[in-house]
Order: sequence, then structure tokens, then C-alpha cells
Amino acid sequence: MPTLLEMQSAMKASLLHRDSRAISPMLAGDVPTDRLDIYRNTFAHTLTRALRLCFPVTQRLVGEEFFEGAAQFFIGEHPPRAAWLDLYGGEFPEFLRSFPPATSIAYLGDVAELEWAVNGALHAADVAPLDVAEIGAIDAESQVRICFVPHPSLRLLRLEYPADFIWHAILDSDDDALGKVDLGCGPRNVLIERRSTGVEVECLGETAWCFLSKLCAGLSIEAALVDSSEFDCSAALAEHLALGRFTALALAPPSTAVDRFSGKIA
Amino acid sequence: MPPPEISATDPIPAKAGIGLRFQHHQSVLETRPDVSWMEVHTENYMGGGAALRYLDAIRRDTPISLHGVGLSLGSAEGIDPAHLERIRKVAERVEPGLMSEHIAWNVVGGTYLADLLPLPMTEEALEVVCRHVDQTQSYLKRRILVENPSTYIAFGNSIIPEWEFMTAVAARTGCGILCDVNNICVSAHNHGWDASAYIAALPPDAIGEIHLAGHSIKTLADGTILRIDDHGSRVSDEVWSLYRQAIARFGAVPTLIEWDNEVPLLEVLLLEARCADRLIDNSREESSHADAA
Repeated sequence: MPTLLEMQSAMKASLLHRDSRAISPMLAGDVPTDRLDIYRNTFAHTLTRALRLCFPVTQRLVGEEFFEGAAQFFIGEHPPRAAWLDLYGGEFPEFLRSFPPATSIAYLGDVAELEWAVNGALHAADVAPLDVAEIGAIDAESQVRICFVPHPSLRLLRLEYPADFIWHAILDSDDDALGKVDLGCGPRNVLIERRSTGVEVECLGETAWCFLSKLCAGLSIEAALVDSSEFDCSAALAEHLALGRFTALALAPPSTAVDRFSGKIA
Repeated sequence: MPPPEISATDPIPAKAGIGLRFQHHQSVLETRPDVSWMEVHTENYMGGGAALRYLDAIRRDTPISLHGVGLSLGSAEGIDPAHLERIRKVAERVEPGLMSEHIAWNVVGGTYLADLLPLPMTEEALEVVCRHVDQTQSYLKRRILVENPSTYIAFGNSIIPEWEFMTAVAARTGCGILCDVNNICVSAHNHGWDASAYIAALPPDAIGEIHLAGHSIKTLADGTILRIDDHGSRVSDEVWSLYRQAIARFGAVPTLIEWDNEVPLLEVLLLEARCADRLIDNSREESSHADAA
């Protein structure tokens, strides 16, 4: 008699790899294989639908049929690891970049990466933004040592192609804009976040993007400014705080900040 | 192990409710339909953002039941503590009147198989399920309901009839049973069981909720006919008839109209719920007549 674990492993092989050699002898009587197909179909259908919901623009770019085919390969290689399907599909952009039939669309991986970030922003936990009064409570001299905790919906991407243009144009069904996309316009520094009105995708300048990236990585304000002394950080910080991009703060010890600072100068 | 006592803040009334899906968030808020309660899939509200905001708003007027699909109570390797914690967090926010899961499994070797997969009806599977129901009830500090499955295959080593398996889980853990009448109908056809006898074999005191849904009928390549539990149509006459038998035996219990594929207009769900409510009212009258006589 097979153990429960043996049966479950056999069923997994049947669903994931269409290999029913192990499960067939465990079934009662002569169960026709199309009965197993019902489970296979539900499995594939549920996960393909999850990918469709997460990557609608990617699907529009390649067409439904191509998307479904790519999804089948992807699901076989990267089945979900948790029962929370909002988190399913994180490896899909990388998969598409190396999926031979898709390599002719050079920007496809970037668009998928942007959609994955949008999905993450959409489903990120609700956390109250930082109360600006907390900054006011810190003496002016020490404020440069503030480190922020970014809001869980905030995502920063650096993309090789103008995936944000393509994403906006396709969602708006704006063929004119799509026709004007310049694939050679250079890397895009993109910010994705959930606001009360929905998920926003916007492109930042190089310095602004680097500053925010460093803050999100936990660097203090002064450490984040090391390479960009000309940058008007107070305007940028005011915007970040007004839009609730941080949820908490801490003070870096003076020595750490100075070490990092002097290290960079040297 | 007896489940810890917890009284729900807004209990689910013994009336008809509807499954709330994303498509209907907006129209429910705009029209405030006259429905006694609603049920959602726990897994759809594990993040933040708009979905949860809608649910918060709907929850203010309508008792909510949380129905999970991903805990995998039948997993040989144990249930995922991270998933159990996600469920607890949703429950903390939603304060549901009922919480339920399935007699099924979908996780093995760290892979989530995204379907409610059948268990062999063995003593081993029964012990595994009971252990996980105990674990879930102590972690959530409340009683849960477990739903009977719809199945298309059976295992050679199954020795316990499914209705006895369900009864044993309830008796050993103190959990309740979510009696899915459509699933009984589907499985009875697929395995040649007597659906009425299945209902008659369940312990009335343990029944905490009933599910009703539509199913489809498929002819396989070998000519056999299979019932598919696809939640994509109206409740069939056969299932309504089994439902009458169920409430005659169990009394009035919260009854859900489930519809997950080809989700229709909200009005259609409400009409189905009204049918269930009428049958509940009739069964109350009949039982009061019987008491009087």
C-alpha cells in the first residue's frame, strides 16, 4: 500500500510533468487517464489565469495563444511554492528573457518585470505612512542621519527599454504613442507605487532615482547623498514624505555615517 | 482535542448567502443588496490595497465567512505555518462569522498544486487531517468547518466511506462540517454512491454550513459520463432536491451560493440565494408543523 506521501509525490509528477506511471497503479480499478486530466486542466488553468491577471500587457504584446504556450512551459519549470497566488510569477520575466521563441521581442522581459512590480505594489500590505512630525522631533543637526523604512508597495526598477512607455500605451490602447516609442532611448529609472487612486508608474531622473534607491536600501540621508552633493534633496524628500513612501525611521549612529562618508571620499 | 471556544462578533445567520467575487465588489457597495451574509476566499485577501478596502467596507453591514482553499489539511508533510499565519491575519482583520477549509490537499515537496486534490480514504489520511485540523483550530483559537470534496478519481487503498471519514474528522477534532451538497451530487455520480444515503449518514449536529453550486456534465472518450464541479452555472434541480433532504435532516443552516467561473450578474446570484431562503423557510414551517403534531 502506498503511503500518503508516496501518493502525493506521484500525483505531483502526474500534474507537473504529465508522468502518470507512479499514480496509475494507486488508483482504484481502471480509472481512465482523462479523469486525471481534469485535475491537470484545473491546475494549468488556475495558474495560467493567475499569470494572465498579473501580466496583461505582456499577453497583449505576444497574443493569447503564445502567452498560454509560454505559461505552460513556465508552470512546469516554476510551479508555485505557496498557496497565495498573488505572489506567483516572480520568475516569469526572467523566464521570458531566456525563452527562445520570445527573444525576438527584446523588451518583453522588461515589460514583464514592470508588470510584476505593478502586481507587487497592488497586493503589498497596507502600512500607515510615516508621520512627518517624527522628523520634526529630531534636532536639525541629526536629521541627516535619518534612515527610512520604505512603504511595502514601493518598487524601483532600472530597465534597459522604455517598458513604462509601452505599458502606458498598451493599457490606454494608444497606438499613436506605441508607434512613437523609441526603443533606443536608453535605460529607464522607474518608480512603481500604490497610491489611494491606484498603482502609479513613473520615470525618475538618474539622480532622484539613485537617491531614493539608496534611502530604500536603508542608507541614511547623508550617506545617500554622497555621490550627488548638487541634488536638491529637500524637495525630493518632501515629495517622498507627502506621498507616503516611507513608513518608519531610525537614526544611523554618527560614526557609521561618517565612516561611510569618509570611505567614499577616500 | 476540543476546539477552543470563540464567539464570532457577527455570526453567520441560518439563511442564504452568496460568494463574493471581485467582479461584484463595486455593485455590492453601490446597491447594498438584501443578502444575509457573504463568503470570500481567504487567499484573495492576504495582501493589502483595494481588494481589502472593498471587503472592509462591505463587512461593515454584512457578516463575512472566510473560506480557504490553500491550507492543504491533507498534506502528508504538514501544513505550511506561513500560510496558517496569513489566514490568521486575514481573520484578525475581517473578524469572520465562520471559517472553513477543505478535506483535500494541494502541497507536496514545497510545491502548491493549485487544485483541491483528493485524499485516499485511509486511516493514515484521517490521522493526518485530524492532526492538521487540531493544529489549525488551536492556532486560530476557533472552530473551523471542513468541506467534503468533489472527486473524479478514487484510490485502491481507500477503505473508509467518505461520509464516515467526514464524521470521524468532526468527532475527533470538534470541528464542524461544511456540507457541500453539489459536491455530494458530483461525487455520488462519479463513484456510483447514493447521494441521499450520504446526507443521511452525516451527523446533523456537526453541520455548520451548506454549499450549493452548479456543475457540468462531461462525456469521456470511453463513453462514461463524469460530473465536473465547475461552479459555473445555476444550481441543478437534482442538487436543489438533495438540498431539501439536507435541511430536512440538519435543520436550517447558513447556505452559500457559490459561483466561480463565468460569474454572472449579481442579480442572478441573489435570485439563487432567494430560492435557498424559500426552501429554508419551508423547512422551518414543516418542522414546526411536525413539532405541533
